[in-house]
Amino acid sequence: MRIVVCVKQVGVLGDEVEFSDDGRSIDPEFLDFALNEWDWYATEEALRLREARGGEVVVATVGEERADSALRRCLAMGADRAVRIWHGGLDAQDPISIAHALAQIVEEEGPDLALCGVQASDTLDAATGAALAGLLGWPVVTVVTGLTCDPTSGTVAIRRELEGGLIEVVTASTPAVLTIQTGINEPRYATLRAIKQAEQKPLAVREIDQIEQAGAVIKTMYIPERSEHAEMLGGSPPEVARLIADIVKQRVG
Amino acid sequence: MPRDPRYDVLFEPVRIGPKTLRNRFYATSQCSGFGSDRPAMNAYHRAMKAEGGYAIVHTEWTAIHPEADEWPATTGRIWDDDDVRNWTLMCAKVHEHGALAGIQLGFNGKHTFNLEGRLCARGVTQIPSDTFWAHSCYEMTRQEIAELQEFYVVAARRAEQAGFDVVQVMSSHNAGIAQQFLMPLHNKRSDEYGGSIENRARFLREVTEKVRAAVGERCAVSIRLCIDTLHGSAEGIRVEEDAIPVVQMLDDLVDLWDFQVGGRTMAEWGDDAGASRFFKEGHELQYVAKVRPYTQKPIANVGRFVHPDEMIKAIESGVVDLIGNARPGIADPFLPTKIAEGRTDDTRECIGCNICVSRYEQHASIVCTQNATIGEEYRRGWHPEKFSKARNADNDVLIVGAGPAGMECARILGERGLRRIHLVDAQPEMGGQLNWVTKLPGLGEWAWVVDYRKVQLGKLKNVEFIPKTQLGVPEIREYGAEIVIIANGADWVASGLGNANDEPIPGTQGAPGHVLTPEQIMVEGKEVPGRRVLIYDTEGYFMGPSLAEKLARDGKQVTFVTSYPEVGPYMFYTLEGVRMNRLLHSLGVELVTHHVVSAIEPGTVTGERIYAEDKPVSWAADAVVLCTMRASRAGLYRELEADRAALQAEGVQALYRIGDCVVPRVVAECVFDGHRLAREIDEADPAVPLPFIRERRVLGKLDQDYDAVVGERGIDHKVSSLVQRV
Repeated sequence: MRIVVCVKQVGVLGDEVEFSDDGRSIDPEFLDFALNEWDWYATEEALRLREARGGEVVVATVGEERADSALRRCLAMGADRAVRIWHGGLDAQDPISIAHALAQIVEEEGPDLALCGVQASDTLDAATGAALAGLLGWPVVTVVTGLTCDPTSGTVAIRRELEGGLIEVVTASTPAVLTIQTGINEPRYATLRAIKQAEQKPLAVREIDQIEQAGAVIKTMYIPERSEHAEMLGGSPPEVARLIADIVKQRVG
Repeated sequence: MPRDPRYDVLFEPVRIGPKTLRNRFYATSQCSGFGSDRPAMNAYHRAMKAEGGYAIVHTEWTAIHPEADEWPATTGRIWDDDDVRNWTLMCAKVHEHGALAGIQLGFNGKHTFNLEGRLCARGVTQIPSDTFWAHSCYEMTRQEIAELQEFYVVAARRAEQAGFDVVQVMSSHNAGIAQQFLMPLHNKRSDEYGGSIENRARFLREVTEKVRAAVGERCAVSIRLCIDTLHGSAEGIRVEEDAIPVVQMLDDLVDLWDFQVGGRTMAEWGDDAGASRFFKEGHELQYVAKVRPYTQKPIANVGRFVHPDEMIKAIESGVVDLIGNARPGIADPFLPTKIAEGRTDDTRECIGCNICVSRYEQHASIVCTQNATIGEEYRRGWHPEKFSKARNADNDVLIVGAGPAGMECARILGERGLRRIHLVDAQPEMGGQLNWVTKLPGLGEWAWVVDYRKVQLGKLKNVEFIPKTQLGVPEIREYGAEIVIIANGADWVASGLGNANDEPIPGTQGAPGHVLTPEQIMVEGKEVPGRRVLIYDTEGYFMGPSLAEKLARDGKQVTFVTSYPEVGPYMFYTLEGVRMNRLLHSLGVELVTHHVVSAIEPGTVTGERIYAEDKPVSWAADAVVLCTMRASRAGLYRELEADRAALQAEGVQALYRIGDCVVPRVVAECVFDGHRLAREIDEADPAVPLPFIRERRVLGKLDQDYDAVVGERGIDHKVSSLVQRV
């Protein structure tokens, strides 16, 4: 089976943060970059499916050249090849624009499954996977915590996480988009040898055919005003607990 | 990141007599084991604190006269003009970095060894030293007291000549003779130097007056004063009854007070240099606060201040003016600069293990668990914040084991720009044995060794921690690293083998459930059966006593059997021994010294008393904990080393080992081992440490030009820029 894993290189905040000149994003000078944690689990899940059933794992991302390191990370884990797609006019903060770009790759690759992470740790929209399925016209199952493929019926048995600790068990026909939750597996680390070998694996770069209208636009970012009314509570744990209880009683009544 | 403006107060200048301190960071006198006989080691060592931002850096305890001879302990000496010449190097180096240099003038009265010069010890009253065996002193006449005061004056003049800015009269730590005059325990005189507090303070007043008259116009004069010996009785110094009147009497004579608390005996100066096991940050402030209203002069006080929030509390409460640091500046000489630059997460916080002190107590030179470069400034040319790009930086490194040695090695290799460093461990977290050792009672702050390195490794983009991964020989060979470093640690043995038992103890074989190792209790969580537990300790450091404390607190009836004459003998070097023994007694632990265990049976342990081996002894015990020795996990390295061709076939060019897997050691030595290998990873044979400069007299050679020697090694200590990450 062929699986496309859609991954993202996320920005990780350091001690200091400044906004870009237009005020719509964080100045990349102040960011470290890493593979999104959820995508690490999605990649591992794809590799396990391939190891069980054979086939191919293709990792895909939307981004500038900088994002290659996230793809190389997945290749070092064992993905077979990678595709990066980009266009200078794309609004990289809009999940709908990203989903359009990813849909172009997924349609070209024609996989049995497209796996995404539940969300990206920098934007936390949790929208790209569902939008991708919508654009493709495929079923989508979100927040997946377990899955089993049945090759004869072409279906996937899925466990997904609901609020309050509930688990839903569903079956989806393929092709489908699944968004993978952390903890579904224990992702493997790449050895130094695998990292070196990943440098030789194919990484294709594509242009986006057509830039769509952005679905969501960030107009401005700002630092929320800080309240000056902080009261430090001191004393032993029981004393602090009593002070907190008094405040709660006073406020809540 | 700019510093928190709340900390600005720490960087205000403070006037002391004719001198000005550029900020409130005050590096107290501190015995490092170099003395004036190794002037370059001493100078470069002290200058590092000046470079790191301290306003003043003191010498160690410095003997004023040949009669103040503490050999073989390595102290400063300012006996003659040649000593002056040697001290000029320290003063020049400290001044180069904009700090003041201070000297502590010492004379220990009845505690003076005089083993080198074979002179007699001058004392207050002829009562033998409580610290040394078969050692006493003579009671000085008035004339001899005046002579002794003149020794101080001559030493102070010499200090000024050497370039010192602050001259300190020592009356502290139950050692300085001025304090022996103050304490009725040592002072039984009936003349004007004994009796009332005015009389007992007369010596200190007179000597300070004379020193001030000699150098006071050009040098600031300070007194290091013990304000409470913690006797709680009139034989010692009590803050209210004794210290306050002394401070009132002498306040006009000093430019600065340096207060200190504790020291019932000379061996108990660990109540001042308090181990984290017993003392928290700022533990002396409660005493200093009582004296504060009685002086107009600035006050310095130690108390292992490492956190700027605690420092500003001490200053803003008005109790102290200067933050005294000895150990915190050993763990991180750049503590002031890091606070100034808002980089407190880069601070190597002193963990209060006192391994630094333990080396001085053995007449050796300083080491530190947190800072492998301490004491290596001159002889190895190491700078705590500067690293050169490795000449073999295009290599990938695999480090197997993320304990203290592995973490430190990864940190320094990361700083030196090795391409990729994978730090791999079987456990989910880095830290190695410290992850469980720090769960023992009182050792929580030791976790800062791990915390600091975790933060630093997180900042190094070329270092990756790989948890929960146990690598065997084939996986290591095939990992893809050019350099492989094994750092997989050691285990406590379950057989009772150790320096007192050269064969396994009968009754330990077959893993009986009632015979346990520290790791089985602390890591595996095995239950200690029954109520009566016998701990057998032949290792001699903290593990046995710590487990005794833990199990006694858990409600067990603990018998502690050791082959040594003391419980936890090494803990006397770290200044924890007295309090640890008192604690174990108070917890009801039966302490049995000088005994060897010879057999273990269910319910009974038998042994013998050293020197009375023909009389067997037995103890009833439901469980036995063996703290006899740790054994290196040596097998992994040996197996890899045995087949170098197989390594080479996979592209591994170099194989090294560091830390406990070589020899089980104190954490400080494991950190040093990892640091040393990383510092020298691009040398011809990194497995063999480079020779260090041995500072000594060489017959037929002129005095060495220290800067030239250091220059040859390519070290430039004059560069003042801070951390240079490659």
